[in-house]
Amino acid sequence: MKDKWKIIVLYLLVGLVFFPFAYMILLSLAAEWRFPSLIPGYVGLMHWKTLLGSEKGLLRSLFSSTVISVSVALIATSTGFILSRVVYYHPKKRLLNLLAYFPYILAPVVFAACLSFFFLKMGLFGNIQGVIVAQFLIAFPYALLFFGSFWNERLRSYENLVATLGGSRYHAFLRVLLPMAKSMLLVCFFQTFLISWFEYGLTSVIGIGKVQTLTIKVFMFIKEANYYYGAISCCLLIFPPVLLLYFNKKYIFKKMA
Amino acid sequence: MFLEVSHIVKSFRREHVVRDLTFSLEAKRTLSILGKSGCGKTTMLKVIGGLEKPDSGAILLNGNDITHTRPEQRNIVYLYQEDLLFPHMDVFENIAFGLRIKKIQKPQIAEKVRHMIHSLELDGQEHKMPGQLSGGQRQRVSFGRAIITNPSLLLLDEPFGSLDAGTRQRMQLLFKKLTAEYDITSLFVTHDLKEAVLMGDAVGFMTSGHLKVYKEAQDFVNDPGTGVQDEIKFWDALKVTKDQS
Repeated sequence: MKDKWKIIVLYLLVGLVFFPFAYMILLSLAAEWRFPSLIPGYVGLMHWKTLLGSEKGLLRSLFSSTVISVSVALIATSTGFILSRVVYYHPKKRLLNLLAYFPYILAPVVFAACLSFFFLKMGLFGNIQGVIVAQFLIAFPYALLFFGSFWNERLRSYENLVATLGGSRYHAFLRVLLPMAKSMLLVCFFQTFLISWFEYGLTSVIGIGKVQTLTIKVFMFIKEANYYYGAISCCLLIFPPVLLLYFNKKYIFKKMA
Repeated sequence: MFLEVSHIVKSFRREHVVRDLTFSLEAKRTLSILGKSGCGKTTMLKVIGGLEKPDSGAILLNGNDITHTRPEQRNIVYLYQEDLLFPHMDVFENIAFGLRIKKIQKPQIAEKVRHMIHSLELDGQEHKMPGQLSGGQRQRVSFGRAIITNPSLLLLDEPFGSLDAGTRQRMQLLFKKLTAEYDITSLFVTHDLKEAVLMGDAVGFMTSGHLKVYKEAQDFVNDPGTGVQDEIKFWDALKVTKDQS
């Protein structure tokens, strides 16, 4: 009897977790759903066809978001990995690590306002390159702090060992450090991708409405009180992270365990 | 002399870790260096290996001044107490690592590694990953990886420090066999009295950054500063107590 209750509670909790996602999918397929109707008047792909095939540019936003997030994740992960090593060996590494927290002290919109003058002068306002640079400024410190825990004296010994075996820094980096950091690199890529993917404040200020990522679109539709279109954008918004999460779970976390 | 170290000084901030280090070593010989923790043994090895820069002094290897030569160009391999096997490579690839860096032909690498695996008594283990090996096996792979590159000088920093007594004894015998087979010149740092006497053709004793090398093992045994006499007294006293009881 006790076990039966446990199972019921478990299913209830699973249902609660999945309900928002199921409701979002239903909302994206629904139309003419007004109070007090319990079920929508229409269920089908009408809104999907309209949005994906029209000038609303949802596919373009998906493409922009993907390009921005993949670029930010790639650049932040690679530079974060390399520079975290420099920071680890630096005599003032504690101060440098402390400075890496700086972008998180300010709200993203305030941070963007602080940067806007420089972005304007450099011609990075209102274009994808500008948004990539702006989001990099948030994702890079994260990667730097993330890899801070990777470097240690044992790895320094590995580097020294490679040197005495006749290998250059390039050999140590490519043949030893990179393979040893593979799992962490993939996790960092995933995390920085998510930081960029769901970023709103910086993108809205630096992109000035010209760069419309999926996150910007979701907010736009919600502001317009267009819940059906908002739900479709959300479906597209969560699809790549879910895919990444699946690959992470299948190939990375299993190896790390 | 094959290795000549003269007047090496090394300090970290205000602390003098190595003071006026001067000694020499003939080719194909092993110098055991004994000393307590923190006496400067590791720093001395790192300076000779090029991993630390000396404040002053000179190091000559086979007549060439290598004091300022980069570690990867010295052909001196430094072995840590930990085996430091590359976790993403199997036994074969770990041993072949140095040869691949030197861009030696693949068939030659395969032949050399197979021979080394046989010398290390690791036949049939070549495709095992480091996590699947015992402590002694891992240390043997680490030796093989160093020796196969044919180093001019091998620096060993307490290589058997983490092994149990039995494995340690087997490793000592294997090391003696390998150094003879591959004509290795080496500096063997240890804090174990017996190991120092067993492994070295000559023995050195290091205290507070100073190294004293004994030409004869008997001189080392007779010097009260090395602690050998205290050790003998301890075992003699134990023997007398046992006889009396």
